[in-house]
Amino acid sequence: MIVNLASSFLTLAAILFCLGLFGALTKRNAVIVLLSIELMLNAVNLNLIAFSKYGIAPSLTGQLFSLFTITVAAAEAAIGVAILIALFRKRGTSDVTDMNQLKR
Amino acid sequence: MPEQFPILSAIVLSPLIGVLVLACLPQHQGGWIKRVGIGATFIPLLLCAWVYTAFDIRGLNAQFEESVPWIRIPLNSDVLAQYVPTIETYELRFDYSLALDGISLPLVLLTAIVATMAAFASIHIKKRFKTYFILFLLLETGMLGVFLARDLFLFFLFFEATLVPTFLLIGIYGLYEREKAANRFLVYNGIGSALMAVAFFALIATAGLSISDTGNAIIYTGDYGTIFSQLHTPDSFVNLGPGQAPPLLEFFYLSDGMRTFLFFLLLIAFGIKLPMFPFHTWMLRVHAEAPAPVVMIHSGVLLKMGAYGLLKFGVFLFPDEAARWAWLIAVLGVVNILYGAAVAFVQREFRLVLAYSSISHMGIVLLAIAAMNGIGIEGAVFQMVSHGLISALMFLLLGSIYERTNSTLLSSMGGFAKSMPFMSGMLLAAGMASLGLPGMSGFVGEFLSFLALFETMPVLTAVGCIGVILTAVYVLRAVLGITFGQAREKALEFKDARLAEALPMIALLACIILIGIYPAVVSEPLQAAVNSFGTLFTDAGANGGG
Amino acid sequence: MDSTFVQYAWLIPVFPLLSFLVLTALGRGFRAAGPIVGIAAAAVSFVLALLVFLERLDGTKDDYTWNDWNWIEAGGFTLSMGFEITNLNALMLVIVTLVSALVNLYSAGYMSGDERKTTFFAYVSLFTFSMLGLVISSNILMLYIFWELVGLCSFLLIGFWYHKPEAKAAAKKAFIVTRIGDVGLLIGILMLFWLMPGHHLDFTMIGNAVAAGDISESAATWIALLIFVGAVGKSGQFPLHVWLPDAMEGPTPISALIHAATMVAAGVYLVARTYPIFMASPAALDTVAYIGAFTAIFAAVIAIAQNDIKRVLAYSTVSQLGYMMLALGLGTELAWAAAIFHLFTHAFFKALLFLGAGSVIHATDEQDVRKLGGLFGSMKITAVTFAIGALALSGLFPLAGFWSKDAILTQALHHGNVILFAVGVIAAFFTALYMTRLYVMVFLGKRNKGRKEAHESPWVMTLPLMILAVLSVAAGFASMPGEPWLAGWLRGVTLTEHADWLVIVLSNAAAIAGIAVGYVLFRKRSETEAGESEPAGLYRVLQNKFYIDELYQAVIAAPYRALGNVLYWFDNYVVSGAVRLVSAVFVGIGRAGVRLQNGQLQTYGLMILFGCILFIVAIAGRRFF
Repeated sequence: MIVNLASSFLTLAAILFCLGLFGALTKRNAVIVLLSIELMLNAVNLNLIAFSKYGIAPSLTGQLFSLFTITVAAAEAAIGVAILIALFRKRGTSDVTDMNQLKR
Repeated sequence: MPEQFPILSAIVLSPLIGVLVLACLPQHQGGWIKRVGIGATFIPLLLCAWVYTAFDIRGLNAQFEESVPWIRIPLNSDVLAQYVPTIETYELRFDYSLALDGISLPLVLLTAIVATMAAFASIHIKKRFKTYFILFLLLETGMLGVFLARDLFLFFLFFEATLVPTFLLIGIYGLYEREKAANRFLVYNGIGSALMAVAFFALIATAGLSISDTGNAIIYTGDYGTIFSQLHTPDSFVNLGPGQAPPLLEFFYLSDGMRTFLFFLLLIAFGIKLPMFPFHTWMLRVHAEAPAPVVMIHSGVLLKMGAYGLLKFGVFLFPDEAARWAWLIAVLGVVNILYGAAVAFVQREFRLVLAYSSISHMGIVLLAIAAMNGIGIEGAVFQMVSHGLISALMFLLLGSIYERTNSTLLSSMGGFAKSMPFMSGMLLAAGMASLGLPGMSGFVGEFLSFLALFETMPVLTAVGCIGVILTAVYVLRAVLGITFGQAREKALEFKDARLAEALPMIALLACIILIGIYPAVVSEPLQAAVNSFGTLFTDAGANGGG
Repeated sequence: MDSTFVQYAWLIPVFPLLSFLVLTALGRGFRAAGPIVGIAAAAVSFVLALLVFLERLDGTKDDYTWNDWNWIEAGGFTLSMGFEITNLNALMLVIVTLVSALVNLYSAGYMSGDERKTTFFAYVSLFTFSMLGLVISSNILMLYIFWELVGLCSFLLIGFWYHKPEAKAAAKKAFIVTRIGDVGLLIGILMLFWLMPGHHLDFTMIGNAVAAGDISESAATWIALLIFVGAVGKSGQFPLHVWLPDAMEGPTPISALIHAATMVAAGVYLVARTYPIFMASPAALDTVAYIGAFTAIFAAVIAIAQNDIKRVLAYSTVSQLGYMMLALGLGTELAWAAAIFHLFTHAFFKALLFLGAGSVIHATDEQDVRKLGGLFGSMKITAVTFAIGALALSGLFPLAGFWSKDAILTQALHHGNVILFAVGVIAAFFTALYMTRLYVMVFLGKRNKGRKEAHESPWVMTLPLMILAVLSVAAGFASMPGEPWLAGWLRGVTLTEHADWLVIVLSNAAAIAGIAVGYVLFRKRSETEAGESEPAGLYRVLQNKFYIDELYQAVIAAPYRALGNVLYWFDNYVVSGAVRLVSAVFVGIGRAGVRLQNGQLQTYGLMILFGCILFIVAIAGRRFF
């Protein structure tokens, strides 16, 4: 019923978030990393919407906020890809492990 | 005291005059810089000589006292005001206070003499004279301050102040592995200083608490006199346990466990400096890599700071614990003596022979301290002064030899008596002083130290006396290896000592022989201090310690 | 004469000290000054010593003590320095100054070609000063100080020709071996200090304390044995005898002065001075006697097989010192006096023998007896005086050595036991044997071809020989069996002793037998060409001194060096290793931390994740704690 559906949504969101986190932390290709970040953001969206319907005080706030998140995700994806393209042009590689200029 | 000239401050700060003058000299005037540097060391020497003559032998307290209020850190007395309504002053106070007693006088004089002779030896330095002499004079200030400070914080400050110039002097002017040696020196001594700081601050926080009679001033002070009297007055709050002390003051009680802990902190901290086995390895690097004048000061004075600190803070403040653990100090002393002698025998480098020799001789100081009687204190001071002078002379000679041979490997030297009879004679004399030949100061120090310890630990003393034989073995091996035997062709071209080299050698040897023939020059000022501190030990015995 | 000169007795050591200071200041330049200053100082000291001695000769004077220079105050106790003149001291002063003056004179000839002549005379003067200071010391600490100074001078003089590696090694060995003895003496002094009432260390106080029973017998045994260790080192008794033969590397005059007449006698003198402690401990006395007896025969036997003139004489000295120790170990006043008497006579004839040997060496540049021979013809004075000295040493009536050796043997028979007496007689036989061998091989027989022509030494060298020869004859009459005048004078009491004809006959018989056997055994050898015959069996063992040096090397020297190396390894790898370990731990922690800073964004992200989880757990978990 209500509880079960909520927990299913939350579980799905958690799984998606973990997948995204795993990808962001371990994948070598920068595009996949960006993809994983998008996945994490989408999982957050799911969470927001689930709580807007099944939370303690259901309201439309969650769904409205998820619209914001989608927008921010889109903007961030665009900038991310732009940076990636610039780096690719400089380095010739999109391997994340090669971008280590910040080390000691 | 405005009427009296602050002679002790003058002694401590006089090398800074040299620093100021040097700062004004242009970099390239090497000759003038050297002259000013050497000349600047004469000011504290003359002042110390004056103080020596003006010292009152029969005086029971520390003399020439100067005390100037310096650091006042007001503390928050809101909570305290509930319990003590009349409180007005609640602060942490460190005064700039200097004083001279019978034990510091010989050491201050030693410092001045060794520093002047080391300045003479510095004529062999080849680069950056200005920096060198400025650092040298700063080092001298620190050393003089250590022996004269009456306040724990001031002592700590001067103690630390000797570390930085030494670090720089070793690191810039040393031999091949100078930077490693300097690093090792700084870190090891820094650890020691950290331990000492912990102990000091614990003491300031407990025994340093002084409450005025009217109850309107509660002050934490670092003054040595206050701490000393608090620790030794039987009904002081530091000594009264829970249930016996007035309310509130029971927090300041120093239990036996706490005292033992503090004593061991001080023992380790000063033991690192002394150096005590097993904390001695840093000193070997310093002796091997530092330039000869720096080693003269290091071996001649800095090591004695450790012994002085152990005596003044470790033993005098905690006589019961010291008496209980005297056997440990004595065992470590014997280990120092025999270990140092045995390892010195197999060294190939003359510098390392002298390094292990220093370890061996400082072991005798440990024996004297462990004896816990008046003769022991006297023996310790004699041995400190004597070894300081002898070590300085040895390294003076080593510096002159190194200048000519560019090597201190024993296998590359030999037969110097033919072409350099004066220096060979000096080296032989220094070797004889080192092995404790009567007629020189080394014998007086060794004899008094062994005599002192024999009262309570005869077997251990007998074992330590074996060190006398072993010392002769390694000293003769090294010294005869350099002076006697066939000379190589290169050695025949070496010139004997110039006047600037010979003068400090003669001066040091004269001091050594003077003390050896007429030890009253050192023992007379010591007597009052020895007698008054000696009573500490009889009390300690009565209190059931050791 | 009343006691005027005794007060000035402290001046006796001062003249040689001034001589040392003057000669050191002059340096190498003024070569002629060396002998003049040295001889003058020694002569003045001798005159003064003689005056002091003559003043005390009637035996009525008390001991004179002046002990008022406060040397050092230590924790409430004051150690003071001064001087004391007893009859024993007075005698020793005369011996030391006389032999020193004669050696100085002799050295003017012997060392005339040496470029460091001034330094030599300076060292000899310093030695004389130290030895005289030792003799007149009033307390045992002061004696120790001069004891060490004497050791220093011995070291400097043995190593005088420092470019020779053998001299360097011999000097080092002498110093170190005597130091072993010195440590024993030092510990004895420490013990004495804490046991004496009032912590006094003067000899008179020690005597009083022992008489009053303040020092228990076991304590006295310890102290006496420790003091004896010092004497063993300085007087070259077994097992610390190994330095004395090597000390022959030094110039011969100083072998005469230091290693025959004076410094080595210091051990005997020390035991004599502290005799009250020894008398309180029968165990210590036995030890002294047996070690002395063993040394006497041990060294005599080795001397038979040595090929260097000076080494024969060195072992002879060791052996004679053993006799003195034997006498001291008997524990009676007469025996004590007999030891001193033998010291007195031995100083003269041993110095004579050494100076005679020096004369031979100076003339022939040769020390090996196998290469010498037939010198009687070309060096008459040396040969005759040497013969007198050899006969005196052998103990033949009526020369000096007979009287003193007889005194010792008599005491040994009466107050010791038969073993000691027998050892003494047998050693006397060997003494005569090796001396005869030496004399026959050096002076008799045909001259060895290929050796340079020898002529007699200059007068500065033969005059001391003649003076000492006269003394070797006359000195013995100071004390005859049945009329122990010397003993009584030394002790300040009248003593009686009846002459024992058995001893007189036996000792003379042993000497004559030794001479006869020696002459027969070694005469033939001196007439043949100096063949390099292989010494066999027992003879080789004797020649190699029972391999004691090699034993010490293997058992003490080499293991000590190995120990030093082991400890050095320990210091470098274990102690330093621990320090390096501590620093390595911290550096390791640092390095581990640095691995986080690898520039990888994903690592940073992981760290952020961990931090977040930590936070969440902490905040959420607060509810449960």
